[in-house]
Amino acid sequence: MESERINRSPTNLAAKKRSLLTYEGKWGLLLVSPYLIQFIVFVIGPLIASLYFSFSKYDMLNPPQWIGLENYEKLFNEPLFYKSLWNTLYFAILFVPTQAFFALLLAVALNQKIKALKLYRMAHFIPVISSWTVVMYVVDAIFNPRFGFANSFLIKLGLEPQRWLNDEQLVIPLLVLVAVWKGIGYMMVIYLAGLQNVPNELYEAADMDGAGTIKKFSSITLPLISPTTFLVIVLSTITTFQAFEQIYVMTGGATDITAAGGPNNASLVLMLYLYREGFSFLHMGYASAIAWILFTILFILTLLQLWGQKKWVHYQ
Amino acid sequence: MKKNLSVLFSLVVVLVLFVAGCTNNSPTAENSSSDENDTSNSKEEQVTINLGYYSGGKSDEKMQELIDRFMDQHPNIKITTQSAPYGQFFQKLDTQIAADEAPDVWLSDGVLVMKYAERGAVKDLTDWINRDLEKEDYYGLDFNKDADGKYWGVPQGIQIGALYYNKDHFDKAGVEYPSEDWTWEDLKEAAAKLTLDASNKKPKDEGFNSENIQQFGLTFFSITEGWFSVLKSYGGGILDDSLNQSIINTEENKQAFEWMVDGMDSGIITDPADLKSFQSPMAVFPSGSAAMRIGIYARVLAANEAGLNYDVTLLPKGPDGKRFSPVIANSWVINDSANDKKAKAAWEWVKYWATEDEVQKEWAALGEAVPVKKSVANSEIFLNSSDTPENKEAFLESFDFAGTLDTNAVWGEWVAKFNEHAQRAFLQETTIDEALENADKEVQEILDEFYNEE
Repeated sequence: MESERINRSPTNLAAKKRSLLTYEGKWGLLLVSPYLIQFIVFVIGPLIASLYFSFSKYDMLNPPQWIGLENYEKLFNEPLFYKSLWNTLYFAILFVPTQAFFALLLAVALNQKIKALKLYRMAHFIPVISSWTVVMYVVDAIFNPRFGFANSFLIKLGLEPQRWLNDEQLVIPLLVLVAVWKGIGYMMVIYLAGLQNVPNELYEAADMDGAGTIKKFSSITLPLISPTTFLVIVLSTITTFQAFEQIYVMTGGATDITAAGGPNNASLVLMLYLYREGFSFLHMGYASAIAWILFTILFILTLLQLWGQKKWVHYQ
Repeated sequence: MKKNLSVLFSLVVVLVLFVAGCTNNSPTAENSSSDENDTSNSKEEQVTINLGYYSGGKSDEKMQELIDRFMDQHPNIKITTQSAPYGQFFQKLDTQIAADEAPDVWLSDGVLVMKYAERGAVKDLTDWINRDLEKEDYYGLDFNKDADGKYWGVPQGIQIGALYYNKDHFDKAGVEYPSEDWTWEDLKEAAAKLTLDASNKKPKDEGFNSENIQQFGLTFFSITEGWFSVLKSYGGGILDDSLNQSIINTEENKQAFEWMVDGMDSGIITDPADLKSFQSPMAVFPSGSAAMRIGIYARVLAANEAGLNYDVTLLPKGPDGKRFSPVIANSWVINDSANDKKAKAAWEWVKYWATEDEVQKEWAALGEAVPVKKSVANSEIFLNSSDTPENKEAFLESFDFAGTLDTNAVWGEWVAKFNEHAQRAFLQETTIDEALENADKEVQEILDEFYNEE
C-alpha cells in the first residue's frame, strides 16, 4: 500500500480520489457489490425491460415485438384507462386527507397521560397487521346487502337499504372508509413519534405567555410536526396509487379476477386495470405502458409535493 | 497493481457466483441426463420429466399415488411434480413459459388449452392421438380440436353441465320434479312457484317483494353455469365455427336475453347483484337458497357435502327443441419446447392416464369429474360413486348435445367483455338491444386484435 501511494503525485491523487477507480474505491465497490448487483439485476434490469415491453407487443408466451408507440396510443384512446385513472384519483382525494386528519387526531389523543394508554394504542394498531382477507369478512358482516347489520340498522330507522359495495356510487367511499380504518394505526405511530419530538420547553414557554390549548396546538404542535405530516401524505399518496390487494379482495377478485374493480368497473383502479390486462389477458406490453404512466404520475405528484413543502413544512 | 487485480478478480467472482445462483440449473441437468443417455445407450434410457398440475385436498394424494404407480411400470421414466392451487398455478405457468421453464406436461383447465395452443406453447398431439388412441372409446377428445382439426390435449376429466334441483324445495311447494322434456319457459313457470321472498310470498302473491328474496327459483352465474347454454339452446351463441367471428347481435340471442332479464326482474333468477351477497356465486344452491341451478359435474361435491336432497336432469330445451350442454375438458397438454425424449415420455404418461382402466377407475372414485374413458364412465364405479345424485346418467346423456364454451386464444378476455355488457342488461341499466350491439362490437375488436395480426 505504502509503495503505491508514494508513486502518486498529490494532484493525481486528488483527482483519483474522486474517481471510483482508486484502490479504496474498488474495495468499496466490492463491498457494496452484493447490493449493487441485486439492484442492477432486480431493479434496473426489470425497469429497462418493462420500458422496452411498453413499446412492444408482448404476450409473455412469445418474444416481444417492437411496435413503437402503439400501446400508448391505445391507452390514451381507451375510456377504461381514464375511468381507472379517475377512480384512483378519487380514491386518493378521499383517502389521503381523511387518513392524515384522523391519524393526527388519534395520535394527539393517545399522546396524553391516560390510563391503559398502551392498550388503546395497541387496539388501533391491530387492523394494520390484519390481512385484507380477514378484514373482508368483517366488512362483509357489516355491509352485506342481505345479511349485514348496516342494512338491518337502516331498515330499523325506516331508511332504504343500500347495496354498499355493489353500488357504483358507494363503492369507493366505502373502500376508503375501510382503508382509513385499517391504515390509521400505522400513521398514528408515525405521528406519535413526531409529537414526542416536540420540545416540552416550547409548551412551557407558551403556558407562561398564557396561550390556550388550541393556540398551542396550532402555533407549536402543527408547525413542528409538519415534516411528519409531509411524510404521512407522501406515504399515503403512494399507497393509494399502488392500492391493489384491498380492492381485489373486497370486490370479489378471488372468485373472478375480471370481476375485481366492480360493480361495472366503478372501483377499477390503475393497478387492478394493469393486473387484469397483463396477467389475465396477456397484454404485457400494454400493461407495461400503464405501469410507466402510473410511474410518471406518481413522479410528478411527488415533485409537486416536494415543491409545495417549502411553503408549509418547517424543519427544526 | 497486483492488489488492484485481485480486487477486480474478487468482484468478478462475486458476480459469477451471483449469476450462477440466479440462473436455473435445468439446462445443465438436461445436459447431464442426455450424457447419461448417450453413454448407457441401452433400453434403460433414463428420462426425467416434470409434471405440473393444479390441485386441492384429497385429489393430491391420489395423483401422487398414480404417479408412483406409473414410475413402477415405466422404470426408465422419472416424474418430478409441481403443483399449486388453481389461481397460482396458472399465474406461475405463464411466467414459466416466458422463461422457458414450464413443466414438460401439465394439466390445463379446459378453457385455457387454446390460449396455449394458439400461442404456440403446447405441442400438436394430432399424430400421436391418431396413432395411439381409439377415439370412439373416449369422451371429449374433440373438445380440444381446433377449427383446423388439430388436437392439442387429451382430457384428464370432463365437466359437463346439467340441471340440478333441490327435491325438498320441490316437495314443499308441491311442484313436480323437472322432466327431460322441459323447455326454458317450463323451467321458469316452475321456478316462479319455488321462489320465496323474505316474508314467504311467491311472485304471484300480492305484495311480493322481488328485491328481497330468500329462496330463488334458479341460480345463474356467468358463462358456464349461466347464459351460455340458454343462448345456445335458443339458437344463438357467441362465436361462429371459425371461432374468430362474433355472432352476438342476433334475434335468437335477444329472445334468450328477454327470458333471462324477465326472470331476474321478477326475482325468480339470481341477478349479478344478488350473487354478491353470497360468500361465492357457487354457494347459492348448496346453501339451499335456490331450488335449481345449472351446474357442471364438479358441483355434486359441494351439494353432497351440504347433505342436500337433490338430483340432476338434462338441461331444458329452447323454443325449437334445441338443447345445449356446456363442456369443459380439463386436459393434459405437452410443452412445445420439451425435447423429443421428454415429449415422448410425457406422452407415455398421458396415454397411461387415458387408457389404463385402473387409473380411470381410481380417479373416477374421487367424484371430481366425469371419466374420460367411456367404459369406465358407463360402469358402476362412476354411476354409483356417491348416493346422490341418483341420475348420474343425465351427465352422460348430455354428451349427445354438448359443446365447448367457444374457447379460443382470447377466451378469458371476450368472456369478461361479454359479461360486462350482459350484467348491464341483467341489472336493466341498458336495453337488451344496446347490450348485444355493444358486446358484439367490442368482442369482435378483441378477436380482431389477436387473429388479424397472426
